Amino acid sequence: MKSLFGIIGIVATCTTTTLSAQEILLPRKDGSVRFLVFGDAGTGGREQYQVANQMLRYSQRFPFTFAIMLGDNIYGSERPQDFDKKFTQPYRALLDGKIEFNAALGNHDDPNQRYFKPFNMGGNRYRTFKKGNVRFFVIDSNYLDPEQVKWLEKELSASQSEWKIAYFHHPLYTTARRGPEVELRAVLEPLFVKYGVDVVFTGHEHIYERFNPQLGIYYFTVGGAAKLRRGDTHPSSLLAARFDRDRSFLLAEIAGDSLYFQTISRLGAIVDKGVIARREVRPPATAVTTGSSSTAPKAP
Amino acid sequence: MFLSLDFRRAMLALVAGVTLGSGLGCKKSNSPPADPTKPVFDDFAKRVDAYMKLRKQVVDTVGELDPTRSQTEITARASRLAAAIINARPQAKPGDIFTPEVATLIATLIKQEYSRRSEPVQETREDQQDELPDFAPKVNELYPTTYPLATFPAKLLPLLPPLPDALEYRVVQRYLVLRDVEANVIIDYMPNAVPL
Repeated sequence: MKSLFGIIGIVATCTTTTLSAQEILLPRKDGSVRFLVFGDAGTGGREQYQVANQMLRYSQRFPFTFAIMLGDNIYGSERPQDFDKKFTQPYRALLDGKIEFNAALGNHDDPNQRYFKPFNMGGNRYRTFKKGNVRFFVIDSNYLDPEQVKWLEKELSASQSEWKIAYFHHPLYTTARRGPEVELRAVLEPLFVKYGVDVVFTGHEHIYERFNPQLGIYYFTVGGAAKLRRGDTHPSSLLAARFDRDRSFLLAEIAGDSLYFQTISRLGAIVDKGVIARREVRPPATAVTTGSSSTAPKAP
Repeated sequence: MFLSLDFRRAMLALVAGVTLGSGLGCKKSNSPPADPTKPVFDDFAKRVDAYMKLRKQVVDTVGELDPTRSQTEITARASRLAAAIINARPQAKPGDIFTPEVATLIATLIKQEYSRRSEPVQETREDQQDELPDFAPKVNELYPTTYPLATFPAKLLPLLPPLPDALEYRVVQRYLVLRDVEANVIIDYMPNAVPL
């Protein structure tokens, strides 16, 4: 396994691959950790329902057991009927199938969402949970107060899990119009590097992006599960893949030292796919894969 | 309450650099306090504590909220809590917690931090302006739910006086707002806190 994935085996594409419906390119290994990743979904609009239907179709071929939500879970008003229209109804079949949703808070989310049991936040703005050999760190990037940073460092340093995955709303890297959150990056990235975070998932920008490893960490923006900023990704040597022509979500499978992923559009096309090796089994990372100073992370 | 190292450093910087307004540092005394900002921040902490004591009494009547499947219950509890907090402090007015003295210090801290911003940070914050809610805050009113909660600048937050979990700072245009998180009530605010 180690030699097989010693060199990062990414199969990247920026173009939509037309495949038969619900084609699964993930290995579906016994005992693997399988999950759904999506963000910025809670509009209650037609596209959210279409994406949700696609998730359901894929779940039948790729049975995942939980989902991570990258924030902006409920846009606009948050009345009980809004939770129904913008969460429970679109994902009813997944909820009925006992898929566990694990939400992070976005800037459009009332922090009281942490009390909404189906979001599994346990009353906390930030938290950590474990699935198999994977430890997830759910961060509230809207309000990164010193106590949260202290908590994060404590949890990261204590974790013995083979995989460490952080997720939150605001992207530390993005090519989209609003740009990366360089202040958050200045605080979070050193901790991620120091304590061996492998992968970071964020939303906020209504597009899909996958970055070449930055200081050894893979960053994904998966913020287009309902809203879309068409054409809002931009060419960059930092980017490994991007998709901004339709809504999307991501499926992931972690088996041993490998994380396999497949990103799917609202209409079911596969827009990105690949496999990532765990940091500890990869060759030492360089700061930026291109080696160009112009593409180095900006110092905040 | 977790007192961040950054906040302590920011206080020390203020001691060195701030000219305090009237009522502070104006007492004629042979032994002025070594740190003239300390009593001001201590007073702020006392006012926050007083609010928290009152809040606890309110929560004791309204009840704590545990995770529930019922959004109706969450919404109803937030409304009850907000109403009870507003009723419990009918005379609340701007400056009750952000007194003029602490407001001067906090505004200076923010101004200093803004002046040190790197270009990428400045760009990020300018981009965030798109998201900033555009309303004039009022004490004892709800933070309008029609607006997103603007992300608080991550490098500024550790410089401000710490707050208990139940409270948070938010930037609304040039205002710094003190918000009760669960009740969504504006507890106090200070105008002209954030530089243009």
